[in-house]
Amino acid sequence: MTDVASAAAIGATVDSRPVVRRRRKRITGRSIAVLVFLTVCALFFCVPLYVVLTTSLKTMDEIRQGQIFALPQTWTLEAWRFAWTEACSGITCEGLRVGFLNSVLILVPSLILSVALSIVTGYALALWDVRWAGAFLFLLFMCAFVPFQIIMYPLIAMTRSIGVYGTIWGVAVVHAVLAMPVLTLIFRNYYKDVPQEIMSAAIMDSGSFWRIFGEIILPMSGNILIVVLILQITSIWNDYLIGVTFGGFNTQPMTVNLANMVTVSTGTASYNVDMAAALLTALPPLLIYFLLGKFFVAGITAGAIKG
Amino acid sequence: MPRVSFERIHKAFGAVTVLRDLDLSIEHGEFLVLLGPSGCGKTTLLNMLAGLTDVTGGRILIGDRDVTDLDPKDRGLAMVFQSYALYPTKTVRGNLRFGLASARLPREEVERRVAWAARLLQIEPLLDRKPAQLSGGQRQRVAIGRALVKHAEVLLFDEPLSNLDAKLRTEMRLEIKRLHDELSPTVVYVTHDQIEAMTMATKIAVMNNGVIQQFGTPDEIYERPANLFVAGFIGAPAMNLKRARILRRGGLVAGVFGNGQQIDLGDYAFAKAPQEGSEIVVGMRPEYFGPPDAPAREAAAVFDLPVAHTERTGSDATGYLRFDEGLLSLRVEPGQAARLAGGQKVRVAFPKGKASLFDAATGGRL
Amino acid sequence: MSIRWTRIAPQLALSPALAVTTVAFLGSILWTVYLSLTRSRQVPDYGIDWAEWSRQYGRLFADDGWRIALWNLVTLGIGSALAIVFGFVLAAMIDREKRGESFFRTVFLYPLAVSLIVTGVAWRWILNPSMGLEAALHRAGFEGASFNWLAQGDTAMYAIILASIWQSSGFYMALMIAGLKSINSEIWSAARLDGVSLWRLYVEIIIPMMRFTFLTCAILLSLGVIKAYDIVLAMTNGGPGQSTWVPAYFVINALSQKQNLGYASAAAVMMLLITAVVFLPLVLLTAWQARRRNAA
Repeated sequence: MTDVASAAAIGATVDSRPVVRRRRKRITGRSIAVLVFLTVCALFFCVPLYVVLTTSLKTMDEIRQGQIFALPQTWTLEAWRFAWTEACSGITCEGLRVGFLNSVLILVPSLILSVALSIVTGYALALWDVRWAGAFLFLLFMCAFVPFQIIMYPLIAMTRSIGVYGTIWGVAVVHAVLAMPVLTLIFRNYYKDVPQEIMSAAIMDSGSFWRIFGEIILPMSGNILIVVLILQITSIWNDYLIGVTFGGFNTQPMTVNLANMVTVSTGTASYNVDMAAALLTALPPLLIYFLLGKFFVAGITAGAIKG
Repeated sequence: MPRVSFERIHKAFGAVTVLRDLDLSIEHGEFLVLLGPSGCGKTTLLNMLAGLTDVTGGRILIGDRDVTDLDPKDRGLAMVFQSYALYPTKTVRGNLRFGLASARLPREEVERRVAWAARLLQIEPLLDRKPAQLSGGQRQRVAIGRALVKHAEVLLFDEPLSNLDAKLRTEMRLEIKRLHDELSPTVVYVTHDQIEAMTMATKIAVMNNGVIQQFGTPDEIYERPANLFVAGFIGAPAMNLKRARILRRGGLVAGVFGNGQQIDLGDYAFAKAPQEGSEIVVGMRPEYFGPPDAPAREAAAVFDLPVAHTERTGSDATGYLRFDEGLLSLRVEPGQAARLAGGQKVRVAFPKGKASLFDAATGGRL
Repeated sequence: MSIRWTRIAPQLALSPALAVTTVAFLGSILWTVYLSLTRSRQVPDYGIDWAEWSRQYGRLFADDGWRIALWNLVTLGIGSALAIVFGFVLAAMIDREKRGESFFRTVFLYPLAVSLIVTGVAWRWILNPSMGLEAALHRAGFEGASFNWLAQGDTAMYAIILASIWQSSGFYMALMIAGLKSINSEIWSAARLDGVSLWRLYVEIIIPMMRFTFLTCAILLSLGVIKAYDIVLAMTNGGPGQSTWVPAYFVINALSQKQNLGYASAAAVMMLLITAVVFLPLVLLTAWQARRRNAA
C-alpha cells in the first residue's frame, strides 16, 4: 500500500504509465495463483455436469469403452428421446414425461398454497398489532428446525382422513405446511421494514386488513415475491421425499420417476438414458438459476438466515 | 359545545405511565397546537385521538360521540404524517382516492373531490406521478390533499414540516394557515417547533413529561407563561430567568438579585401578596430591554453590566451581558451589536409591567 | 364495546397458520412421541403398556442399523464441515480477486439448484467402477487408482460426503461472501498499512469478525446433515448392506419397509432429540452473538 502510494506520488509528477504497469504487476503475482486455483475449482464443479451431458449424448457401446471424460464419437439424442417417452419407472414404461407433467401439476397448487399461507401470516405478524406475535414467531422459528420424519406419519394419517392422501392436493398441502415457517419468517422480515406511518395512514384511510394488503402492501412486495417464488419453485421441483410419500402411484413427481428409473431398473442399465433423465429433471431449476441467478441467491440466503 | 375533548386520559406502556389524568378540550374550528420537547407525550396523545394507539383509561369525545373504542376510519378524522406516508406504488391520484373508496362514495363525487383538492393545493400537474417522482414539498402537498379529500371534521398533523428545509417550511406554514382560514376545520397539530406553534395556532397546549403545562392562546402563553418550564421553552432567544428575593419597604415591592441589583415589582399583578424574603425567579424577555445606553424612562430596572459577547442571527442580534454568575441576553439592533465590545460596561433598562415572576420552589407563576 | 374489525381481522388471518403450527407441527410431534411408546406395527395401536413403555427405545439402542446410522451421521457431519472451509476459501478468494466474481459465483453455486436425486445419480455414475472415473484413470495409466467407493461398506460414506461437499460448498460460499462484504473495507487498508501478512489478517481479524456467519453456516450444515435422505437414497440406497444408513433413512425404512410404526416413531423422536441437542446451543450462541453485535 505504501509502495503503491509513493509510486503513485512519484508517477504523478513524472509520467503516469510506469505507475500503471507497476501497479498491475504487483497485483498480478498473487492474482494469477488465485485465479488458477479458482479455475481448478470451477473445473471440479463443472466435471459432473460435463460427464452427465456427454454420457447422455453417447451410445451404450461407446460408454462401455470406459472413456467417461471423452467427447462422444457419434452424437445422438436417442437417449434423451428414450428417457422422455419410453423409459421404465417402476412398472410403467412411458418415460419421464409422465413425471414432468405430474411435477408441473404439483408445482402450481403447492406454490399457490404455500405462498398464500405464508405471505398473509407474515403480513399480519409484521404490520398488525396481534396478540402473542412474539411467541408465535419464536414457535415458527423452532418449527423451521423440526425434522420432517417426526411429523411424517401424523401428516399421512391427517391427509388420509381428509381424503387428499395420494393426490396432487395432498402433496400441495404438505408442501405448504412444511414451507410455512421459513417463508413466513422471510415475508415477516421483509414487511417489518415497511414504514409504520404508511400503515397508520392506510389504517385511517381504510382500516380493512384485506384491502390494505391487496392495494398497498402486495404491490410493494414485488422483489420478495420473486425471491420466494424462485426459492419455492426450485425446492418443490427438487423435492423427492414429500412426492414419494404423499403422491399416489399416478401422481409422483419427476424426481421419484428418476430415482425409480435409476435404482430399480430391470435388465442392463442404460447409463446414457439415466443421464438424459437426470438432466431433464435438473433442467427447469437450472434454467431458472441461470436466468434469474440474482434472485436465486437472494432466496437461498434469505431462507438460510430466517431468524 | 366542545368539538374535541379528552377526559381524564391515562396512558401507560407496560409499567411506564406516559400520560396521567389529562383533560383538554377545544372548540369547533380551532387550531390547536400540541407543543413540547420530544418524549413529552404529544404524539401519543395525537395517536390516541386518531385511534392508532389504545387509551389505557379515560374517554375521547368528538362532538358528543364517544370515539374511544371506535376504529380509526370511523372517527371522522384525517391525518398528515411526518414522513408524508404516501403509498409508494400508487399515483398521486390513487393516493387521494384510496381513503375515499372505503367511504363508498359515488364515482363522480370521488373525482370531484380529488379535482377540488388538487386545485386547492396546486398539484394538478402531478396527479399521475408516483410519490418517488415528487420533491419533498410536493409530497407534503399530496399528503395534505389526501387528508382534505375526506372532508373530515378534524384534521390531525404530526410534525408535518420537520422533514422540509427552512424555506419550504415557511411556505407550507403559510399554506396550512391559509387552508385553515378557508376551510376552518378543527385542527390538532403536533410540533416541537415553537415558531410553527406561534404562527398557526389559535390555541397552544404546552406539554412536558405527559402533563399539559399551559393551555391558552399564543399571546397568553408568550406573555404570561404559567410556569418556569413554559417560560424557558417558549421564545428564542430564551427568556432570562434570574433568581431574586422579595424586598418589601412600605408600599414598595422589589426583587433583589444575587448581585444586589434590583427590579421594581410594584405594578406586578400578584395572585397573592408576596412575603418579604421569599425566593422567586424573575423572567425578562430579551426583546423588552431598551437599547443599550439609551436614556431610560419608566423603567422597572436599570442594570450596569459588562458585555460578554454578541451573536448575530441575520435580521437580529443578541447581546450577552455578565449578570450575577450567568449571562443576561437582550435583543439589540444589528448595527449596535458591532459597537458592543467585550468587557465594555453598558447600561440597559427593563420596562415596567413586562416581567414574569415565578415561585422558586414550585416553579409556578406568582 | 363494539366489535373492532381492525383488531379481529388480523387475528383471523393468522388462524390458518396457527392451526398448521399447532396441529401439523406441535400436535404431530406429540402424536409421534405417543406412538413411540406403543407397540404399533402396520396400523397404530393406541394402547400403552406402561410396564414396558420404553420397549421401542430399548430395541432401537440394541439395533446395529441404528448404531451405524448414528455413526454415519457423525461421519457425514464432520466430512461435510469441509464444505464450510472450502466455501470460506472460495469466498475469500473471490472477494479479494474481484475479476470473474460473477462467473465463479455462478459456477460454484449451480449444484444447489439441482435436485439431490440428480446429484446422487450423477456422482454414482462418475464413481462407476467399470465405466467411470476409475476405468478412465486405469486407461490413462494409473493402474493403482481405486475409486470403487460405492461398492465397499467402509468407503461408501466418503462418496456421499464428496457429493455433499460438491453440492453445498457454493451455498456456504454465498453466505461467506455476504459476510465478507459486510466487513468494513477500511480494515483491509489499515491492515496493509500496518504491514500485517495476509495469513495473519485472516486468522486473527477476519475470521473472528465472521463468527456470526460461521455459526449460521454451522447451524445450516447440521440441519442439512440430519435431514440427509435424498442423497443417500440416490447414491447407495443405504447399501452396501446397512453401511450408509443415516437416521433419516432409518426412520423411513422402518416405516415403509419394516412397516413398524412404533419403532419408526421411536427413531424419529431420537432424531428430534438430536436436533434439539445440536441446535439449542448453536441457536442460543447465535442469538447471543447477534445481541452482542447489536450492542457493539
